[in-house]
Amino acid sequence: MTTESDARDELIDLAADFYDQFAAGNIPEMTLPTRTKSNIEYDTESGVWTYGDRTSTRSANSVRGARKLLKAAYTIEFLADQLDDDRSSTLRELYYLSESWDNDEAQFTSQDESNDLVEDLEIVTGVTREDFHMRPEESGATLMGPLEIREQTRRGEREIHCQEDVGEGGYQIPNNPDMIEFLDDDIDFALAVETGGMRDRLVENGFDEAYNCLVIHLKGQPARATRRITKRVHDELDVPIAVFADGDPWSYRIYGSVAYGSIKSAHLSKYLATPEAQFVGIQPEDIVEYDLPADPLSDSDVNALESELDDPRFQTDYWEEQIELQLDIGKKSEQQSLASRGLDFVTDTYLPERLGEMGVI
Amino acid sequence: MTSFQSTIGDEEGIAEELAEGQREISIAEFFEKNKHMLGFDSGARGLVTAVKEAVDNALDATEEAAVLPDIYIEIEEVGDYYRLIIEDNGPGITKEQLPKVFGKLLYGSRFHAREQSRGQQGIGISAAVLYSQLTSGQPAKITSRPKGQSRAQYFELIIDTDTNEPEIKADEETTWDRPHGTRIELEMEANMRARQQLHDYVKHTAVVNPHARLELREPGLDEPMKFERATDELPAETKEIRPHPHGVELGALIKMLEATESYSVSGFLQEEFTRVGKKTADSVIDNFRDVYYGRELAWSPPRAHDDRDVAAAVADAVANKGRDATTAFAEGVAETVANNDRLSRSELAEIVDNVAETVAGDTGKTFGGTVRENAVDAAWRAITGAGDDGAGNGADDEDGEGDDATESPLVPDAYALVDDATSTRKDDAAVRAMAEALARRFENLDGDAFRITRDDLDRLVADAATYVAEQHDATFGETARENVVEAFWSRARTVPDDPPKVKAIAGDRDAAADLLDAMRTTDILAPPTDCLAPITAELVEAGLRKEYDADFYAAATRDAEVHGGDPFIVEAGIAYGGEIPAEGSVELLRFANRVPLVYQRGACATTDVIKNIGWRNYGLDQPGGSGLPNGPAVISIHVASTNVPFTSESKDALANVPAIEDEIELAVREAARELKSYLNKRRSMQQRREKQDVLGRILPEMADKVSEVTGRSRPDIDGALARIMNNVSVEREVNGETVTLVVENHSDVNERLEITDIVSTEPTDLSDGTVVDMDGEWFVQWKPEVPSGDERELTYAVDGDADFEVSVGGVETEKLTVNA
Repeated sequence: MTTESDARDELIDLAADFYDQFAAGNIPEMTLPTRTKSNIEYDTESGVWTYGDRTSTRSANSVRGARKLLKAAYTIEFLADQLDDDRSSTLRELYYLSESWDNDEAQFTSQDESNDLVEDLEIVTGVTREDFHMRPEESGATLMGPLEIREQTRRGEREIHCQEDVGEGGYQIPNNPDMIEFLDDDIDFALAVETGGMRDRLVENGFDEAYNCLVIHLKGQPARATRRITKRVHDELDVPIAVFADGDPWSYRIYGSVAYGSIKSAHLSKYLATPEAQFVGIQPEDIVEYDLPADPLSDSDVNALESELDDPRFQTDYWEEQIELQLDIGKKSEQQSLASRGLDFVTDTYLPERLGEMGVI
Repeated sequence: MTSFQSTIGDEEGIAEELAEGQREISIAEFFEKNKHMLGFDSGARGLVTAVKEAVDNALDATEEAAVLPDIYIEIEEVGDYYRLIIEDNGPGITKEQLPKVFGKLLYGSRFHAREQSRGQQGIGISAAVLYSQLTSGQPAKITSRPKGQSRAQYFELIIDTDTNEPEIKADEETTWDRPHGTRIELEMEANMRARQQLHDYVKHTAVVNPHARLELREPGLDEPMKFERATDELPAETKEIRPHPHGVELGALIKMLEATESYSVSGFLQEEFTRVGKKTADSVIDNFRDVYYGRELAWSPPRAHDDRDVAAAVADAVANKGRDATTAFAEGVAETVANNDRLSRSELAEIVDNVAETVAGDTGKTFGGTVRENAVDAAWRAITGAGDDGAGNGADDEDGEGDDATESPLVPDAYALVDDATSTRKDDAAVRAMAEALARRFENLDGDAFRITRDDLDRLVADAATYVAEQHDATFGETARENVVEAFWSRARTVPDDPPKVKAIAGDRDAAADLLDAMRTTDILAPPTDCLAPITAELVEAGLRKEYDADFYAAATRDAEVHGGDPFIVEAGIAYGGEIPAEGSVELLRFANRVPLVYQRGACATTDVIKNIGWRNYGLDQPGGSGLPNGPAVISIHVASTNVPFTSESKDALANVPAIEDEIELAVREAARELKSYLNKRRSMQQRREKQDVLGRILPEMADKVSEVTGRSRPDIDGALARIMNNVSVEREVNGETVTLVVENHSDVNERLEITDIVSTEPTDLSDGTVVDMDGEWFVQWKPEVPSGDERELTYAVDGDADFEVSVGGVETEKLTVNA
């Protein structure tokens, strides 16, 4: 990964590109991969989905384009200064901070705009947001399991055991997980869990201890840091990763972004995605097999499932079979629906059975 | 019932009692009580109406005398009253006429004329005089100096409301500095609350009469309002026209029939109506014959395999003419008959006459009237069976149907027509039954010529259909019946009978109604338009230009159209931008025969039309997509007609006549299209300028920032700016089915573009370029060369909604702005 001064140099280089374009009598522009579903492709080498060859150009030829590039120039200056001072800020802070810039035209009109711009800069410079010292507003996903790590904090190095040194809440994943070092572990596999309720259930039932499992809380659609640490756990500790989510189309997307990368951050897929991650459930098949309490699919669920059938990330035999089955039965179930068989059913029966089938335990 | 009757009986003598109170009401008295009908309902409005009536008269008078109008209007306060003075430079009014013109209601020269003029009924100015004397008790003071007279005549007069006659209070000679003209002075109870309307009236009069000079003085003005003339060209002189056949009503027609000196209908039509010559009169008379006499149904002559023999029948009917002549005659008739597809009895009579003449010429034997008649009867019997004993009798008895050994020759003919006219799904038995039922009914018609009017034919077919429905359970619906009627009617022949004379028609209301019907159904040229004096598009624009300081003007004059026999012309003008206030809705100027309409805007057809136009299409703001548009615009509409349909006598609002509304809409849209293209151009210029402004500001700032970040000196950005400023734009305009790509080249060199438009439906009518069909998408390609500073329009048409995707090559992308 890049160092701070590398990141700064990349930003200055981009500004220099603009400078050179001006100096040559050209209109400054910046070319980016087109960030749509139709422009993500499977990279056979790495097994993840990345942007394809189609590009879009942001040119100062139009009023909109010129404003974007002006904002980019201001943001580059801000980020470069931030790196110089070894400070960090959140994406939301950047949005508010732009209010203080001397130029009205350079101020952001919404946070989506500043978020998108930071992503644009990541793509063009090849430097991640974390290396710009930009964090999302909240991260807060946690780890719980037999893992000992060393974290570089602003207050010095800390060594933490993610089972013994933490409370019930677990170890909080920092914004830049590359700042931690794995010291020792007794992990057989990692289980990434979508909902807080289920994570708490697993911890309460002692599942992490019983199975030497690292429980990673995804907290819905996982933040980059969560996906990054999942990948590092898999790559560096060489343990299988299983994703345990609800049985609905939105949760399949959560699995998709863990395993294959997301559309918005496909430029970072190689860094964030864990193609070897497996989906535990809830599978549509489980709804049938365990006769789980279920809700009917809504129209938006059906649309989402159908759009997943078109999504290149889900074009595997397994997913096509499962999605078609779900469309067929017209039902979805939450993780918590397993409680209909008793509070211990998930840890005593469901997970051991499923993980056993998958060859994880 | 009984009690009621006895009550009436008791009141004997009430009619007499009532009669004592009944007497004639003078027209002057009537209007005294109904001032509002003429626009004198309040003091404020009365003043405006009085000015309007006097100015309208002055303009009419000056124009008639071919003098450029020079009109002076003054209003002054006199104690509790207002004094109104109007002077013109018209031809003046003779001493004899003057009291009647001003002192008698319904006295005028124009009411009977079909000619465009401002005044029509001869009410206006005398109503003003009446209003003034009623409210102030003062007589009207009138000075008039006819052209060429050394002295002017001064009158003071009032109207005697009992008799509707002028009462002269003073009559003396006087001197006047105008060489000719008329001056009227009225004193009335009034107020100036309608000052705005008064100003509008005068200003709008100036707009629509660019040849007039107007001056207005009133107490609220520090400086008199003066309107100079914009042209020295007088409006075209109008001619009076006779009524148009499409525009008369039955009562009027009967009156004309009674009054005419013509003897024949043809002469009457040509003499009394406009646009009727010999040919048109003939077609009207033919139509009249059809409604008045009915047509004669035509039948096919016997064919070779038929056993009905025309030649034999004719030969039998002729006696004592010698064998050769008889044979020649009989065969001649039979041959000519056989040459006709179908013929009516009158046509047969004509054939017989012709053959008789020819044979007489060849053989020297004369075939007299009786012989010819016999021959016609015999031949007709052979063709149609008409007059045959038995054939007719059987027909009375519907039950005997099918039993008849000899079928009427009409049946196969009728069968062919019915079969042809009805849908293929009708089963053959039903068609045959219908044909037989029809044939029987035709045979029962009076006489043997099968003469029937269209209305009777309708009834006859309906009756036959009812019979067939009852007996054969086969329905002939309305459409089928109409088709059958049309099949017979279109093959029937107009009779050769002479139409009745004019006097006979005048005395016969039904005949007159038939004649009117015939006049209305005949296609007749629209009335001539030299009775109208449109302002012309050019002068409509000049009028607006004179009174409104705008950025843009457009005007349109439509061709003349007819409504109820009166020709009319609609003109529209639009002024936009400049000093016209941008707030609120547009200003709508309404004119009828060059007179501004000031009151009742909401009730006027022009307002309705404007409200129903989708102005957003034309680039004006229109909240909610209907109603009066907003923005800095003035829309003026002028309707010129020999008879402008107003909603009331006070002539404030045009009535909702569809023909006129359609023309108003077309005229306004024509002018609005020009406005739209102006606004579009302005908008694209504005966008370009805005873009240049914004980029001209942003790019230097960006350059500063990148030089700051990189720590280098500020780069020279002139090259980049120059590229952006010299712009080539491609813009799409979709108007209904027409798609236009406008290419504008603002750069300083010629540009050669390659434009490809991908269209989802098939494009037609390409302006130039080529089109290629690629799997349900059409690639339209042009390679236009656009000179520096010029523009090109590329157009095609698509049917319905289509998606477009345009790509433009051949121009550096920096220079290109695509908005398509």
